Amino acid sequence: MQPILTAQDRENLVSPLFKFDRQFWMTIAVLSVITLPGLALYVRQLFLGLGVTDLNRPVFWGAYLVNFIFLIGISMAGTVISAVLHLLHIEWRRPITRIAESLTVFGLMTAGLQIIMDMGRPDRLINTILYGRLQAPLMWDIASLTLYLLTASFALYLQLIPDIAFMRDSTPENAPTWRKKLYSTLSLGWRGNKEQWTRLEKAITTVSVILIPIGVSLHTVTSWLFSTTVQPGWKSTILGPYFVVGAIYSGIGLLFIAVTFATQYNHHLKSYITDTFYKNLGWIFIVMSFVWFYFTLNETLVVTTEQETLEFPVMAAKLFGEFAPAFWGMNVLMVATTWILIALKVPNKASSNPLFKTTTGLVMTVLAVVTFIALALNIPTLHGAFVELGLLIAFIVFFVLALLGLTGWFQAHLIPSTVIASAFVLFGMWLERWNILMPTLTHARIIPYTTYFPTVTEVALTISTFGILTLIFVVFYKFFPSISIWEVEAGRALEIKNGG
Amino acid sequence: MTKQPLSRRDVLKLGGVAAGSAATLAAMKNFMSARAGSQIQTAVEENVVASTCHLCSAGCGILVRVADGKVVKLEGNPMHPVNQGSLCPKGQAAPELLYNPDRITSPMKRDRTTGQWTPIQWAEAIQLTADKLSALREAGHPEQAVLMHGDTRGQMRSFLTRFMQAVGSPNVVSHESLNIAAAKLGMYLTQGIYNLPAYDLENANYILSFGANLLEAGANPQRTIAGWTFGRRGRANRNKIVVIDPRQGIHGAKADEWIPIKPGTDAALALGMANVIIKSGLVDADFVKNYCFGFDNFASGGERKGFRDFVLENYDPIRVEQITGVPSTMIARLAGEFAGNGPSVAIMPGKGGLLNGGFGGVYTAMAVHMLNALVGSIEKEGGVMTQRYMPCANYPKLPSDSTAAKGLKTERIDGAGSKFPLGRNSYQSVADAILEGAPVEALFLYDANPAFETPGNKRVAEAFAKVPFVVSFSSFMDESAELADLILPEPTFLERWGDDHVEGLGYPGISLYQPVIEPLYDTLNTGDFFIKVAEAMGGSVAKAFPWKSYEEVLQFRLKDIGADWELLKELGVWFNPGYRFAKRGSPQWIESVVGAERLNAPRDGYFDLYSRELNCFVGKMKKDELAALGITMMGDGANLPHYEATVFAGDEAQYPFMLNVVTLMSLGPRSDAANMPTLQEISGMTVRETWDSWLEINPQSAEALGLVENDRVNIESPFGRISTQVKLVAGLRPDVVNMPFNQGHTAVGRYAKGRGVNGLEIINPASEPLTGLASFTNTRVKVSKS
Amino acid sequence: MANWCMVIDLEKCVACQACSVACRMENNTPVVSPEEAKNGRAIRWNDVFPLPVHIAPEQGEYPNVKTHYATRPCMHCENAPCVKTCPVQATYIDEEGIVRQNYDRCIGCRFCTVSCPYGVRYFNWYAPQWEGTLENHLNPDELSVNGSLEGPAVRPVGVVEKCTYCVHRLVKARERAAAEGREFRADEYVPACVQTCTGKARYFGDLDDPDSTVSQLSKSLRATHLLEDSGAHPKTLYLAEG
Repeated sequence: MQPILTAQDRENLVSPLFKFDRQFWMTIAVLSVITLPGLALYVRQLFLGLGVTDLNRPVFWGAYLVNFIFLIGISMAGTVISAVLHLLHIEWRRPITRIAESLTVFGLMTAGLQIIMDMGRPDRLINTILYGRLQAPLMWDIASLTLYLLTASFALYLQLIPDIAFMRDSTPENAPTWRKKLYSTLSLGWRGNKEQWTRLEKAITTVSVILIPIGVSLHTVTSWLFSTTVQPGWKSTILGPYFVVGAIYSGIGLLFIAVTFATQYNHHLKSYITDTFYKNLGWIFIVMSFVWFYFTLNETLVVTTEQETLEFPVMAAKLFGEFAPAFWGMNVLMVATTWILIALKVPNKASSNPLFKTTTGLVMTVLAVVTFIALALNIPTLHGAFVELGLLIAFIVFFVLALLGLTGWFQAHLIPSTVIASAFVLFGMWLERWNILMPTLTHARIIPYTTYFPTVTEVALTISTFGILTLIFVVFYKFFPSISIWEVEAGRALEIKNGG
Repeated sequence: MTKQPLSRRDVLKLGGVAAGSAATLAAMKNFMSARAGSQIQTAVEENVVASTCHLCSAGCGILVRVADGKVVKLEGNPMHPVNQGSLCPKGQAAPELLYNPDRITSPMKRDRTTGQWTPIQWAEAIQLTADKLSALREAGHPEQAVLMHGDTRGQMRSFLTRFMQAVGSPNVVSHESLNIAAAKLGMYLTQGIYNLPAYDLENANYILSFGANLLEAGANPQRTIAGWTFGRRGRANRNKIVVIDPRQGIHGAKADEWIPIKPGTDAALALGMANVIIKSGLVDADFVKNYCFGFDNFASGGERKGFRDFVLENYDPIRVEQITGVPSTMIARLAGEFAGNGPSVAIMPGKGGLLNGGFGGVYTAMAVHMLNALVGSIEKEGGVMTQRYMPCANYPKLPSDSTAAKGLKTERIDGAGSKFPLGRNSYQSVADAILEGAPVEALFLYDANPAFETPGNKRVAEAFAKVPFVVSFSSFMDESAELADLILPEPTFLERWGDDHVEGLGYPGISLYQPVIEPLYDTLNTGDFFIKVAEAMGGSVAKAFPWKSYEEVLQFRLKDIGADWELLKELGVWFNPGYRFAKRGSPQWIESVVGAERLNAPRDGYFDLYSRELNCFVGKMKKDELAALGITMMGDGANLPHYEATVFAGDEAQYPFMLNVVTLMSLGPRSDAANMPTLQEISGMTVRETWDSWLEINPQSAEALGLVENDRVNIESPFGRISTQVKLVAGLRPDVVNMPFNQGHTAVGRYAKGRGVNGLEIINPASEPLTGLASFTNTRVKVSKS
Repeated sequence: MANWCMVIDLEKCVACQACSVACRMENNTPVVSPEEAKNGRAIRWNDVFPLPVHIAPEQGEYPNVKTHYATRPCMHCENAPCVKTCPVQATYIDEEGIVRQNYDRCIGCRFCTVSCPYGVRYFNWYAPQWEGTLENHLNPDELSVNGSLEGPAVRPVGVVEKCTYCVHRLVKARERAAAEGREFRADEYVPACVQTCTGKARYFGDLDDPDSTVSQLSKSLRATHLLEDSGAHPKTLYLAEG
């Protein structure tokens, strides 16, 4: 076989891993600054108790649990991309498999942290093993989470082995000895012979097959945490698949952002991760967005019309109550996302109509945001049905005009648009989890309705969580290549075979 | 080894499997056995001491669990007839009073110039007090010593009175003018007994409560709760209870019917009912003809108007409807139900509707009580009983002492008997008298916090500043104690000797307080303190107190009740159960049921429908004299119960709401209860509030003012302005607003201080001119968003 | 084996809250700060509150209004959602039908608090505290089952706690009977709230004994359960007003 990987590749992919430059340390420093206050506040929470949160009776769960579901959700990306696309032999997946799989592992790790953060007695975690009660949904979740984390880590490691071997062989002379040792140990004596390749392929395929049901189970079981508590708003058979869909949706969003972050960090990667990836994964993104809307419509419409006395107050809180800003905010973000994604698929035709001018779009966006905030804050001076109706109509008009106006810009900027859409999805999906959890908790049956707003501790810990997630990401990819070198190699080999 | 069909080991294995499956199954059924492994550890040394609760005027019997020398739990004493084993939240929380971190731990003296408190020895406190009183006696003005006391019952009241008499001062002022005196006067002016009636609620078929807050406050809430609930579901046939009150509260919610009457018009309603009862011939003819005075017109030619004609002429239900806002058909129905479903009983308000600043309040009490007479419910099963008391040994005669005799002849400082001819105590007037220049040289505050609990309480502080020697016996640094020169802390009721009469059931009884643990701090029972002061004063005062301790006083006074001291200590209570109804007109009737305590009118056993006692005070008055007292009726009308429109402080147009300050079951009447954290926590249950004060307002009125739940509002009366949060209460008249009593302390302790505002600050400080009763319910306010 | 049950006659209940306070004193539930209490963190295993719990415009207009009050201990459900969702068997139904809580095992995940339809379960947001001398009144009883704390001794921060029908009183009553060499009788055991009830609205006893008061009352036409439709098979019985 002729050498498919060039010296240029080596330069692009390997050498940055040994350059601890200013940019790297700055990133670490910034992330640490973001993360540390939360850690300090966690230590305080550990000593004082969960009283430092805004949790109360009946709002016994809050931001930590929302983060938990969110992080479990984004961990779905790895499974879909790596396992499903692998099994379907879809080629454009190859450069981003690594990032996708690692996101699964990192997401699950930080999700696990949320559980610890939320526990009143983290020191008694061992009790779940000593006295675990298998009929309890939380035990299913813990089991599923552990299994998923182990399997996903295993899958990630399997995928890494040839690359670790490659690193072992490409380590610069001046690299520290411990790194050399690290690679040689972790590569498990990979030589890249045929037998090893056959076994690896087999193992990866097997793990991919296993990973899919475990992933689905985790998201489903997480939904069961809620639906088994017989509380209004959660007693839904749709919750399981809804969680799975939401997970894939937000997972893809995070993947887009992570990949773009990686390519921005290391410009050389752009030659491996091309627009094709954005375009192709964009299609799945669109599909998921429609499936998500379908589920949301189902849940909202049915509960709104079913005349269930316990369910309705919860739904009403979302539709017109104190959760309306979060609920409609989520929907607006999702509509915007879908529009952007569809716009990217439509050929760009220059138009002289002022409606389709970027400046118009920007002005309208500002106006739409302002009207939305006015509606959300329910400013007392604006009270009166007509004023509110007027605001609502104004918002819809501004929103539509904003989307129309910006369409041209979206079409012209594939990657920024996709990243914006992804950010919208991530934020929207965090809100979705908030909207599932909090309205039910604040609308208990025989405890007066109440409110909840995260305290400084909870906000700081949430920020820390995402700081930690990014930190793990950055550090991990300082030691291991962020795109799967051997997959790229295999892809090129395949191209050569097919093309020539 | 031959193979056996089933070896022993196999059996064991099977057993194991079976047990395992059983365990699994049990786990699946969420079922576990805990009984076998249960172990309990508790205190090494435990005992239970019977005593009496002192957190409201009910005086419930308690059994105190003392574990390793610490009071850990109070239970109701099942033997005690008032509470029969029950105990209200105040009593349950009593350990928080005993172990309160804000208790005063030793006697203290205040330097008036710096305001600094310094701890002193009891000997010094005793000497200071003795010197002060001796000086007053030497100056020939022992009456310049004044003692104000709160809900002080049992022997302590007579003991304090005796001490002041020995010194030579008539000025022992009870706080009853703030609460029960109006009802007592209503009873006195009709039935001739100066006391609260006892009601046989258990046997009444029909209970008509005129704003008597039977389930939350009143003189004996535990007793009325027990009677109420027994009548509901404790017996075979359920009674009917109708509550007439502008505020629904808990009693209105638990009653069969709630009638939101226009405030201050209860007399008209009662008389409208009387009108129907008389017209329909439903009166108890035997009673009104033979045992009542003034039903028919009387005097030789019938020229004096009697109750019947007066009511028939003036209180037609149509007219009453215009006054009260209660439909005439409803009045007729209530009258029919009341007279036709006996035994029935009409209950006077405790304070709410009666203390309206005019004599109309007393007329109301009379009118309500007369309903009982009309249907013959006086001294009848299911009706009204008269409270009997245990025979207490008489104190030895006071030694003759000219200084004291002279002092005792002076007019009382509060104007009772002089300025207020019908009044017996006018608590709030003490402050007014001092401000007007009355010489008060020494002021003792026992179980009293006038600087907080008096309407228009701000002036009390000004008054006390003028008194050179103020002594408080409070266990807490309350608003009044803060103004004192000496604070001589009394131990809490769980650490001292005392007693209480069993009241509310008619039959007599004595309930004992005893120190269930040694006093925690350097405190002294006020009884013991006064004995020591008397000893230090020497002479006739010392001779008047031949006892070594207050415990001895109790032993002496209670020696004839039928239980020896040891038995009383063991049981905590002793009583002669079973109320014996006196036969109408019998000697016992005349001796103790009707007319026995009249000071002026004949003690002839006639129930006055036409008040002869009142006639002795107002009978000869001219129109303008009566008008000065706020009485619009002339001649016979003034002696007959009638409706007098309440004169409100504040113009209706400017101040559209009537303000009511209501006592809560949780915080109760005593200031120190406000410093019990658990009571603070549960205080606002009905309005979903905690640790705060609030203003109850009808949702319609709130909407008109643009107010929503929890808005901050200013409440302004002609006497001042306070600010709290608003709570929407649907069960409330739209023209009435309520505030809770016992919030808004500026002292007492860390839990009470700064919790909301005290509604009494903006209540009319005036006193009723004939009786010296305080005004509680004739203040109008305006409410605005702040 | 007994099946302990409480019956509450709402007609006789006068919402005085003595039950709430008796429970606090018996079971050492802490007083939280005013700010905490306002934030819904007060711990009263037995609570009293007005109904409807949620202020709704349809509750009537003056003067056609009637407020109702409910008093609420634990329902000791036969199909308790809290027991079903506890991941570590810290809460369980014992052989006498009492839903109990093992404070040494609870991990503070608050699954039970979320699943309880009645909100009877409370969480120790902070370590319970009694200011100064106040801690002297704490009940010294300490019940342990197989070495694990089950109250009423003070619970640590971060665990869930709840009404136990004062089960330590049952254990004490049994021990007393045993020490006196006689059979334990069902009427030797009542929870603190039942004992103190000012309106004598609470009854307690063995539901499986056909002659017991609670068993008789359970046949009343007024007998009902709180949120009968919750599916939890609540055991604590209510007798409706009227």
